[in-house]
Amino acid sequence: MAGGDGGRGRGRGQLAFNMEAVSIGKGHALPPPTLQPSPLFPPLEFRPGPLPSGEEGEYVLALKQELRGAMRQHPYFIRPAIPKKDVEHYSDKYHTCGPIDSAIAWNPDWRRLPRELKIPVRKLQKEQTTILLPKRPPKTTEDKEETIRKLETLKKEEEVTSEEDEEKEEEKEEEEEEEYDEEEHEEETDYIMSYFDNGEDFGGDSDDNMDEAIY
Amino acid sequence: MTQAEIKLCSLMLQEHFGEIVEKIGVHLIRTGSQPLRVIVHDTGTSLDQVKKALCVLIQHNLVIYQVHKRGVVEYEAHCSRVLRMLRYPRYIYTTKALYGDTGELIVEELLLNGKMTMSAVVKKVADRLTETVEDGKTMDYAEVSNTFMQLADTRFVQRCPMVHAPENSDTQPPPPAPNLVINEKDMYLVPKLSLIGKGKRRRSSDEDAAGEPAAKRPKHPTDNKEPIPDDGIYWQANLDRFHQHFRDQTIVSAVANRMDQTSSEIVRAMLRMSEVTTSSDAPFTQPLSSNEIFRSLPVGYNISKQVLDQYLTLLADDPLEFVGKSGDSGGGMYVINFCKALASLATATLESVIQERFGSRCARIFRLVLQKKHLEQKQVEDFAMIPAKEAKDMLYKMLSENFISLQEIPKTPDHAPSRTFYLYTVNVLSAARMLLHRCYKSVTNLIERRQFETKENKRLLEKSQRVEAIIASVQATGAEEAQLQEIEEMITAPERQQLETLKRNVNKLDASEIQVDETIFLLESYIESTMKRQ
Repeated sequence: MAGGDGGRGRGRGQLAFNMEAVSIGKGHALPPPTLQPSPLFPPLEFRPGPLPSGEEGEYVLALKQELRGAMRQHPYFIRPAIPKKDVEHYSDKYHTCGPIDSAIAWNPDWRRLPRELKIPVRKLQKEQTTILLPKRPPKTTEDKEETIRKLETLKKEEEVTSEEDEEKEEEKEEEEEEEYDEEEHEEETDYIMSYFDNGEDFGGDSDDNMDEAIY
Repeated sequence: MTQAEIKLCSLMLQEHFGEIVEKIGVHLIRTGSQPLRVIVHDTGTSLDQVKKALCVLIQHNLVIYQVHKRGVVEYEAHCSRVLRMLRYPRYIYTTKALYGDTGELIVEELLLNGKMTMSAVVKKVADRLTETVEDGKTMDYAEVSNTFMQLADTRFVQRCPMVHAPENSDTQPPPPAPNLVINEKDMYLVPKLSLIGKGKRRRSSDEDAAGEPAAKRPKHPTDNKEPIPDDGIYWQANLDRFHQHFRDQTIVSAVANRMDQTSSEIVRAMLRMSEVTTSSDAPFTQPLSSNEIFRSLPVGYNISKQVLDQYLTLLADDPLEFVGKSGDSGGGMYVINFCKALASLATATLESVIQERFGSRCARIFRLVLQKKHLEQKQVEDFAMIPAKEAKDMLYKMLSENFISLQEIPKTPDHAPSRTFYLYTVNVLSAARMLLHRCYKSVTNLIERRQFETKENKRLLEKSQRVEAIIASVQATGAEEAQLQEIEEMITAPERQQLETLKRNVNKLDASEIQVDETIFLLESYIESTMKRQ
């Protein structure tokens, strides 16, 4: 309309609001114009406060991580089936994917669900429910004691059978000593003894073909 | 549902149930109530997968179904219920604090399985507790049942709606979906079961097997054929009751921070008395007389009646208005004002966010505008005693982040800007909504970053898991120190460093998620209580 055009043309130099009311008086430095989008991670002016620590914080943290792991083990976690490829790969048997059939691994109460949702239930061969421990008691010391006990029993058994096998053991020891001698020899020089060829084998090669002269 | 909420729901479903359930769940949240065929068509997944996903979602109370006309069953997802999955560790920890390990495991089983019968819960929890107890001892079912009944009495667990069998079911064909109803009175009624038994230890090593006679083991598969006495009665965790408990805890700790320990104990006693008489969404408790409060204070507290009256007067006069005086009979009738308490807590959260993000001078301006309701630019500078340039800068920063809003009051009917008052004001409800939205976005970012970090180091994590498995199996068969050392050296020192850094980062991200969830709870409770009053 004419009025609109006139307003746009005539009042171009004037601003719509009063500069002083917004307290940008003359001589006030305005911030420089922004020529690019704001940075992805603007610099932090103040560092954030510390996270909750202490017994409660750590317990809830451990609980959260255990719950996450537990949910993955439950039959409610449905893994997508990997689509069939044309070529069989070696890594196929190591893939942790879900089965492609239409059964579910847990047994819901079908009376509570709409009839259209009924699916066959797959019976598990073994009960694979992993039972989590709320606290994990330190079992390392007990295990170490068990291993020490086992080693001691093994030692005793060795001592009992050692009298019978004494001859065999002596032979083994002689072999070990011979090996040690060789090693000592080898240690004196920097050269590996097995590389030294003392010429015994030379000439032992019988050539059937005597046409060629031997130089 | 906002985009941030939908993204967060999608991440939660993916972490807990896998991608297929996530796809179906997010589709239902986005599009609302839909029948089965439309879901199959729109998401492009096969019918079997959709059925599987819906079974899982319904079992966990995330999706409900309704029978519409012509026998079509429509499914609807609850976005807010999906977001509660973030808070599961907090629920479990609270139960541990109140009812010990037994209660903790009961609630954990109920949350992880959605709904279960009482006998199934008791059996599973007894088995789990027997695992942790020393050799030879087992957990009795009766003890677990007692804790379960305590949880039902204090309403932390509730019964799911039951299948309502119509009377004339012989003449009509069975309905496509069962009708589920629940009676208010029956919701916390524990069925009379005589659960006799002890927890069974899982046969993990040969040492335990010798203790149990061989005859007991083949009985395991036949147990399923026996009729379960409480068949059809399912229980679920009552999240509203937990929220009520959290709200009470927050109020008590706020009073303790503002005043002292004794006043917080008084408030705690008042809340305990009104636990059963007040519903969870009431704006304030029933009036409690000062005499009643005096009688129900904990036994160890020896304060005289006059001191109690003084404390109550102090609490009632406090500007935060947590406690209000509603009458003078019985030595003074006092109520706890939940609405005002939640509003004060939300405001305090906003103030602290501004302080941490923009500095204490900004916080001063914010508190000023909050107190005076509407202020002009010039008045802000004068009252806050901050130079004009800085005050203007801070106000605009807060305005751009939507903590403060501008109210225009025109002097002339043509709204000319030079003849209009511009007043700064804080609308707490909208600022709280904005902050809540931001919290959802933060949790989404935290979860995504954690997933990214784990994916980056996936190879290293798998290697370390394999090495641990090897160590465990070698140790079980008896090994020497040198062998173990050799196996441990399979992970080099820089790799170990990398694993340490990864673990530290993941822990930090998890702890941050938990902390943001506390803020989410506070803001959601405030918004809910304010909306109800309007």
